[in-house]
Amino acid sequence: MVNIVVPGELVSEKPIQMPYAFVENGKTYAAVISLLDDRGGLIPLQGPYDPAPEDLVVGVISDIKSSGYSVDIHSPTPAFLSSKDTRDRFNVGDTVMAPVKSVDEIKHVTLGGGRALGGGHLIFVPAVKIPRVIGKKNSMVDMIEKAAGCKICVGRNGYIWLGKGGNVTLAMKVIEKIIREAHVPGLTDRIDKMLKVI
Amino acid sequence: MEKPTLVVEGKRLDGRAFDQLRPIKMKAHVINAADGSAYVEWGDNKVLVGVYGPKECLPRHMANPYKAIVKCRYSMAPFSVLEERIRTGPSRRSTELSMVIRQVFEHTMFLEAYPETEIDIFIDILQAGGGTRCAGITAASIALADAGIPMRDLICAVSAGKIDGQIAVDLSKDEDNYGEADVPVAIAPRNKDILLFQMDGLLTRDEIEHMLDLAYSASSVINRMQVDALKEAYSGERTEAVLPL
Amino acid sequence: METKILDELKKSELLSLIAEGKRKDGRKFDEYRKITVEKGVIQNAEGSALAKIGKTQVLCGVKFGVSIPYPDSPKEGTMMVMAELLPSASHLFEPGPPGEESIELARVVDRGIRSAEIMDFSSFFIEEGKVLSVFIDLYVLDHDGDLIDASALASMAALLDAKMPLIEEGAIVRGKSAGPLPLKEKVVTCTFAKVGDHFLLDTTLDEEAGVEGRFSIATTPTHVCGIQKGGSGAFSKKNILELVDLSFKKGEELRALL
Repeated sequence: MVNIVVPGELVSEKPIQMPYAFVENGKTYAAVISLLDDRGGLIPLQGPYDPAPEDLVVGVISDIKSSGYSVDIHSPTPAFLSSKDTRDRFNVGDTVMAPVKSVDEIKHVTLGGGRALGGGHLIFVPAVKIPRVIGKKNSMVDMIEKAAGCKICVGRNGYIWLGKGGNVTLAMKVIEKIIREAHVPGLTDRIDKMLKVI
Repeated sequence: MEKPTLVVEGKRLDGRAFDQLRPIKMKAHVINAADGSAYVEWGDNKVLVGVYGPKECLPRHMANPYKAIVKCRYSMAPFSVLEERIRTGPSRRSTELSMVIRQVFEHTMFLEAYPETEIDIFIDILQAGGGTRCAGITAASIALADAGIPMRDLICAVSAGKIDGQIAVDLSKDEDNYGEADVPVAIAPRNKDILLFQMDGLLTRDEIEHMLDLAYSASSVINRMQVDALKEAYSGERTEAVLPL
Repeated sequence: METKILDELKKSELLSLIAEGKRKDGRKFDEYRKITVEKGVIQNAEGSALAKIGKTQVLCGVKFGVSIPYPDSPKEGTMMVMAELLPSASHLFEPGPPGEESIELARVVDRGIRSAEIMDFSSFFIEEGKVLSVFIDLYVLDHDGDLIDASALASMAALLDAKMPLIEEGAIVRGKSAGPLPLKEKVVTCTFAKVGDHFLLDTTLDEEAGVEGRFSIATTPTHVCGIQKGGSGAFSKKNILELVDLSFKKGEELRALL
């Protein structure tokens, strides 16, 4: 049962500290437009990427500093990758995949290590839809990789890198469909059908 | 020009009751490029809001290390009025409105969640018909929710006023121009907080109280529409944004 | 978000697609996205229209006013075209006075309409020292590329929707009309972007990050009435003549939508 809640809408009569919600006068309210799942948790339907340590992100090197690199991860401020944390040498414009090492109190992200992704296509999708693109235990992204025959690196931040060779157009079509129908029940079956027809 | 009679045989010029709103339509997600957007038709008003952010705060020296800063622009299209074309560019009126509207949302959003960033709210009046700031605030709430920016509530706004001695809600353009008082109010529906309150005209203390009661009742109806517009935009497929002009 | 670096990535993506004869959305090089034009959307204006090309949405409002004529044409009305790139329409647009992009857009649309002489400005004469002025205001609401073609469509449609104002004692009586605005032609504009040896009609915003210049051609059914070469990039005589031929052909498709 799809249950959408909007900012200010009651989520629980009890005070519960949970993401995307706030407590006021002993009750819990949604702060962001979300789906209320059967366990009473909120799945945000919109909003910027909320970085957390160990998230794998995809980014673009935007600046070279003496101590490391600035990496555009489609956040208000670029992430930082120290030269000490990576063996590779990067150029401005290189696409990289890296884990988030830490996030400070002003939401600046420090990356820990990173590998170059080489030439390919970079697309951006809303970060809130990324879990659907990845699927349970990578099931969705594996399915798309197999059908399209190209390597896909999905960043939790919303950037998705599609490797050269293979049917990139198909991969993009499938991802677009997932974004459009992310919260319409039965998505996995529809994607399955779509790929079988090819 | 002679002042027209605003109340004829106990009814308003457009046939409404004193506590009745004009026809209102709302839609979320109407601009593809924006992070969040909304369109509201309210009486003759046609209002479009686009939201961007949280994004890098520029210029950098304006950034606040503790929270996001908010920029808000209220602007009227040159062709929005029936009379002569409006010259483009900010006016004293639009500057004041941009500020008081910004302050409504500075209070409502969880700005501390996004330090050193900015959140931009652009309110464009495509057609004006009395009560543009109220329609603008109502639409901006929807647009901010559409952008996924965390907020305490969906703020809505409505005007109350005095026309030919009668207290009425949601003044039309003529009622605003020729009435005795106009009071736009922005309300947080859940706890009834008032986040914008302006008044011009002459009123007694009891008249103000009566107006607030009317505004509170109207705000529940308006808020319901905001909630419906958002839920509709998010049920089913996320389709391409289209302006229902 | 580092726009310029992302633009470089978009450019290399565009070049590799073009080399394979493809566009990201599967269109042919000379194909328009889905276009819709709605007239009469702003009732307070004397004429209005909303034009959509793909995700691009441009609104145009026409207002009439009474002005002093230009000294060298004392018995003729005047026309002014202005454009605003709404900050809501794109993360690329900032609030503030018109910049070079919005000014170029307005002037290019203006020239197409003005050169084709579709309005009889002498019929706008009211009395000594008073003429009718037509104000055409373009409001770009949603930017996904090809703003010139969308704006040209919106302005032509708004003019087709426009009603002449009723004039009494040298002043406009607002809210009343004196019939439709007489127009002699329908002007349309086609914009082609250059990528290597190829030309793309109707570019999306992502595609525009990778092009080398554009060529916009305004036409009536029989004549070219406006040209603007925009952006850095060079065109040959052969290029230009090919694009003129293509503009007449594609122009008919656009005209049919007005």
